[in-house]
Amino acid sequence: MTLRLSIPWRDARAPMLLRRHGGGGSEAVPAATAGSSRRSGKTRRREEAGLKRANFGDGPGLPTLLLLPQLLILLFFFFIPSLRALMQSVLLSDPFGNNVQFVWFDNFKALLASSDYRQSIAVTFWFTVAQNVLTLGSALVLAFATDRIVRGRSAYRTIILLPYAIAPAIAGILWAFLFNPAVGPLAQLLHHFGIAWDPNLNPTDALILVTLAASWKHICYDYIFLVVGLLAVPVSLMEAAAVDGAGPIRRFVSIALPMLGPTIFFLTVMNFIYGFFETFAIIDAVTKGGPAGATNILVYKVFVDGFVNLDLGSSAAQSVLLMSFALLCTLLQFRYFDRKVNYGV
Amino acid sequence: MGRKVAFIAALFGALALAGPAQARVEVQWWHAMSGVLGDRLNELVEKFNTSQDKYRVVAVAKGNYDEVTNGVIAAYRAKRPPEMVQIAERGYMTMLLSGALVPVQDLVEQKGYKIDFSDFIKPVASFWSYKGRMSAMPFNSSTPIFWYNKDHFQKAGFDKPADTWQELEKQLYAIKSKGISECGTVLPGDFYWSLLENYSAINNQPYGTLANGFDGLGTEFVYNKTKVVSQVARLKKWLDDGVMQIAGQGFSPEQLFTSGRCSTFVNSTASHGNIERNATISWSATFLPHESDINPPLNSTIGGGAIWVMKGHTPERYEAVAAFLDFVAQPETQVWWHGATGYVPATNRAYALARERGYYKDHPTREIAVLQLSRGTPNENSRGFRFGNFVQTMLAQRQEVEAVFAGQKQPQQAMDDAVKRGNEILRQFEKLNAGKTPETERP
Repeated sequence: MTLRLSIPWRDARAPMLLRRHGGGGSEAVPAATAGSSRRSGKTRRREEAGLKRANFGDGPGLPTLLLLPQLLILLFFFFIPSLRALMQSVLLSDPFGNNVQFVWFDNFKALLASSDYRQSIAVTFWFTVAQNVLTLGSALVLAFATDRIVRGRSAYRTIILLPYAIAPAIAGILWAFLFNPAVGPLAQLLHHFGIAWDPNLNPTDALILVTLAASWKHICYDYIFLVVGLLAVPVSLMEAAAVDGAGPIRRFVSIALPMLGPTIFFLTVMNFIYGFFETFAIIDAVTKGGPAGATNILVYKVFVDGFVNLDLGSSAAQSVLLMSFALLCTLLQFRYFDRKVNYGV
Repeated sequence: MGRKVAFIAALFGALALAGPAQARVEVQWWHAMSGVLGDRLNELVEKFNTSQDKYRVVAVAKGNYDEVTNGVIAAYRAKRPPEMVQIAERGYMTMLLSGALVPVQDLVEQKGYKIDFSDFIKPVASFWSYKGRMSAMPFNSSTPIFWYNKDHFQKAGFDKPADTWQELEKQLYAIKSKGISECGTVLPGDFYWSLLENYSAINNQPYGTLANGFDGLGTEFVYNKTKVVSQVARLKKWLDDGVMQIAGQGFSPEQLFTSGRCSTFVNSTASHGNIERNATISWSATFLPHESDINPPLNSTIGGGAIWVMKGHTPERYEAVAAFLDFVAQPETQVWWHGATGYVPATNRAYALARERGYYKDHPTREIAVLQLSRGTPNENSRGFRFGNFVQTMLAQRQEVEAVFAGQKQPQQAMDDAVKRGNEILRQFEKLNAGKTPETERP
């Protein structure tokens, strides 16, 4: 029974997700079905291979035409703005652009010499790392729990996915209100337990609050990928381990987790990019970068210096640096972690 | 037959009337007023549009002051600027030296309107003029005043808040120790404006060299050597003792006052509309306190916005702009706007008119701002502030003050750092605008 059950899941990928019920494969699948499933899996692989070899006829005409929309989007929304940012970063200019001076790398020098900017780098580092650990950790726990829930699983999944549908600014205001020391119910609860919680005064509290808000918003993203990743773990292995007496947690840690390697690696990269670039609205709604610059992450500083302070040169230099950081971070991750990830299942 | 002719004549008459109406010269005015203030602004524009049939002003709400500024910069760079734009006081130097504007006084005089620019209330006039000529039309001018909860003060045995910071401190501590209110005051969102900048003006403290920047771009901040340092220390003490609270993000300080939680609140006179509408308490207002060793206190300075006229439009459109600005400067308009919003009347004549009509008998707190702005003769320390990149220096300063509140820095250290950072920002502005004088060319 166990052996027969394991076969269909070998080739199962994401689309199979919704069809799986219960924990531990209590549902019997007839051997015949299992066999056909294996066959169809092979066929699918052949089709995939065929797709790669498909050609568009002679000459580069059609492929170029098909690529064109994407290339145009990249041109207008990435290459041109990036080039403008690069140019602006070596200029000192008034916001109206009537007075422009070429200042070489003065904007970069000023940034690297500024304690404010160094603080922003440190804050961004702690924020993204904490956000990453928290998001992945919670998503893993929730994904693991999904596997154990028998009844109401779709309701459970829907509830977990809900935060993703909430606009970041709204999410931010929600968290700011819940933890507002004067009126927020959760802040009152903390005060009740003798914790002097005040994110308006205490930089650490503020950083904790934005980290929580940003993670809460992103857990669902990681969760989806992890649930799908868990489905790719062969049930045969899990059941063999179960027969050998390994409990659910042991099975998860020793079998599922290593096999989730590629997914977790991908999510780590995505979480860093999320932390670097997409948490702007949450910061703006929860703390506005304060108090005392405690939550002034790099992307928020780019915004404030560019759009509030109208210091375009510095803002452009910062965005160039931020992009380099993100690139460097991603490259390092690929360089050092990618090797340790086992892609084979 | 006769009737028919009369009908046709009437029809033609109507068309003749409608003709010019369709040919009205239309000009755009981008502004930053929202909520009640936005509604009032639209009423004002409607008043102008119905008062004549040659011009039509279209008011466009573009978000908050920052968003309006960014919008107008983008529009200017795309060569499609609006004719008029409302910009906050802090952006004065950026606008003045932008090369993108037409000085208002030149425009109005060239178009033949006779606005008495010498009649503007002094801190208003000096803030918005360069070398004695008005660069922008003062529109919504405010100043911070001291709001208080009458019941809390009465219960504690005080008639009203004291005039000096020293006495006021005793009152707030008494209110707290007697258990009347757990929050003596709430930190205003723009405390740098009311409790540091206006504090310096009222208490005759210099904020920067060269007459707070009025005498040149080489100005440097000096508030780390003035009473501002002890003021920051005072605020920190109040916070530590729980006499002052911070509303924080997600909640406005005003709500903590109007709901009766906090006994006092320093805020702009422009919040009259909101407080009248939202307050569930019996409130009143008075002058901002001053230091006990400074007597008499000087005038406070203004905040708010003015209407700037953008370059690059046709003479007909400037006709419309000048007509509208003339309308805004009329005492009648000023008095109406003053009553509708709580902003101060910008001219002495308008103020006299409001007095004459007995407006302040029913609305005594509305007069405080005018009296506070126009008391004494403004000197170098109280005329206002002329710092380039003033938003940026203010944000750096606010960050340093927050570091004091968080217990990371001592007040002196924080103000030294704020001045140092601020001066670097000022030098950048000086470098960019070296040798530049504001545009004086005629439209």
